[in-house]
Amino acid sequence: MPLTLTQRCCHLLAPLIPFTVVFIHLSDDDGVRQVFEEMRGLYDQNVAAANDSTADPDGTAISSIAIRHAALERNKRCLMAYVFNRSKKLRNMRWQFGSILPPEIKANLCEPEIQWFNSYSKCLARYMKSIGGQGLNLAQDVKPPKSLYVEVRSLIDYGKFELDNGEVVLLKKHSTHLMSRAQCEPLIIQGVLEQINH
Amino acid sequence: MEDTFGEDDYFGEDEHIPAHEVLQTLEDAWLNEKFCPDLLPSQDSYVEAMMEQIQQMEDNLTKLKKTDFRVEVHHMELARIRYIITSYLRTRIEKIEQNTAFILEQETTRSPENPHLSEGELNYAREFLALQENHQKQLVLKHVPPPFQDFMSTQQSLVPNLRSHIFLRAKKDVNGVVIEGDRDTRDEEVDLEENSQHIMQYKPIANLIHDGSVQLI
Amino acid sequence: MDPSEVEFIAEKELVSIVPNFTNSEVHLISGDVGPFRAGLPVNVPIWMALNLRQRQKCRIIAPDWLDVEKLEALKEEEKSNRFFTKMPSEHYMVVAQLLLSAVDDDIPRVEEIRMAVKDLWDVRISKLRSSVDTFIKTGGSHARLDYLTTMEINSVRPLLPHALDFIDRLQKASEGASRRDMASQD
Repeated sequence: MPLTLTQRCCHLLAPLIPFTVVFIHLSDDDGVRQVFEEMRGLYDQNVAAANDSTADPDGTAISSIAIRHAALERNKRCLMAYVFNRSKKLRNMRWQFGSILPPEIKANLCEPEIQWFNSYSKCLARYMKSIGGQGLNLAQDVKPPKSLYVEVRSLIDYGKFELDNGEVVLLKKHSTHLMSRAQCEPLIIQGVLEQINH
Repeated sequence: MEDTFGEDDYFGEDEHIPAHEVLQTLEDAWLNEKFCPDLLPSQDSYVEAMMEQIQQMEDNLTKLKKTDFRVEVHHMELARIRYIITSYLRTRIEKIEQNTAFILEQETTRSPENPHLSEGELNYAREFLALQENHQKQLVLKHVPPPFQDFMSTQQSLVPNLRSHIFLRAKKDVNGVVIEGDRDTRDEEVDLEENSQHIMQYKPIANLIHDGSVQLI
Repeated sequence: MDPSEVEFIAEKELVSIVPNFTNSEVHLISGDVGPFRAGLPVNVPIWMALNLRQRQKCRIIAPDWLDVEKLEALKEEEKSNRFFTKMPSEHYMVVAQLLLSAVDDDIPRVEEIRMAVKDLWDVRISKLRSSVDTFIKTGGSHARLDYLTTMEINSVRPLLPHALDFIDRLQKASEGASRRDMASQD
């Protein structure tokens, strides 16, 4: 049995519920196109019915017009909600990735959406610059700060290393040191230091 | 070297509000905003004052020796304050983006002495709404039958749920809070004792946040 | 609220430390701390205590209530009280977690204390769960929650407020429907 209009609209919204990063390309979306077509059909029926001068003794014509109208309103809202939620996902990407979209994402966006993203990005940047007179990057400091120190062992004779607090330490093979996680992380990644686990 | 910075800072031309009070106000505002379904009045003057304090502090810290143990402690505190400010402003932006048309319309009904949006937020809200309108026109509205091409009518229906439930602590005694009854129950009048904690609908206590009688938790 | 934010708020609470260095007062924006005299106890916010402890600049002194016997007494009181007991700290659970994991030898009987805190937490949470259950079933919209701590309140978010919101929406919808029914009966 063919899907009713509103059922089709709900199907549009369903993929948004698991919030995945992958977008279906909007202009390829069969669902959206079909909704437009059927809205046109319903509307044409209503115009025809309204212009029909034949009598409507039991009021069924009026009721049908009202029902089609309600369906048209509802479907418009579904479509707008769909577009609104897509733009919300885009918005979240601006906050997560900054103003440059990863190419995999861009490939699934239509031109108006890419433009929306760029405009949103600029709009947001303007606001952030206006904060407190000097500007403030709201996309940073997303988690409360935490002091984290770790004990590390030097794996090689690295030599002198200046810590954030100005102290200069000598990283010799097997020497142990206490450092903030932020500072030693790059050195751990490089293989200069290893974390000591107790 | 005498620790000369961190003295009580002034705020505004006539008022001398100590920095720690400014900070406390911002912390309270941060929590209220986080838990409130509606957008509360902007505390942008406090935000600005605190950001100036932070800048001053950071400048002063460059004058201290790096090995001074106070440097790291101060930096930690500044990171904590920055977190409160950014989280506060982020929460507000999210609300503005969710209910843009409604928030802008509400703002027009307010007197100029009682804005809920800062100037930056107001400009942002207008620009954002224009972005959304254009976007919807491009992708949806110009493809639907003419009588249904109106953007604002749908937008204005996105409103916050003022009947949603919140947790609060009474900061002072508050008497006679009226909780609306429904079909089966009558209106109830509740007294909030100082320091008591409650769960209830936001609407009956909305004005109590503004005057500092309750804190959302 | 994210647990990391509950922790963030709890870290403002003061705790006693014994520094191994000497320094004059520190003028933080949130208030003055110190002066620091090596070997003498001084109160600092927990976030600062943790940082100094990590840098091996101090020893942390457990608050009075972070003690096995005291915690077990609190648990017994909680069991026998129909309502919630006032806790010695607004953030007892978080403070206990933070301090107990930060210290190696500073605080004796760490494991026993950890268990005692957990037992107390379990009693209170179980009481909270059944109160919430009863509350929703009786159709209430407002309740008093004195002496519940931040972490405990957070544990019923968003479920409790959302459930109440949902019930409210259903009630409003059914009111609207019955009004329409009444109108159409003319």
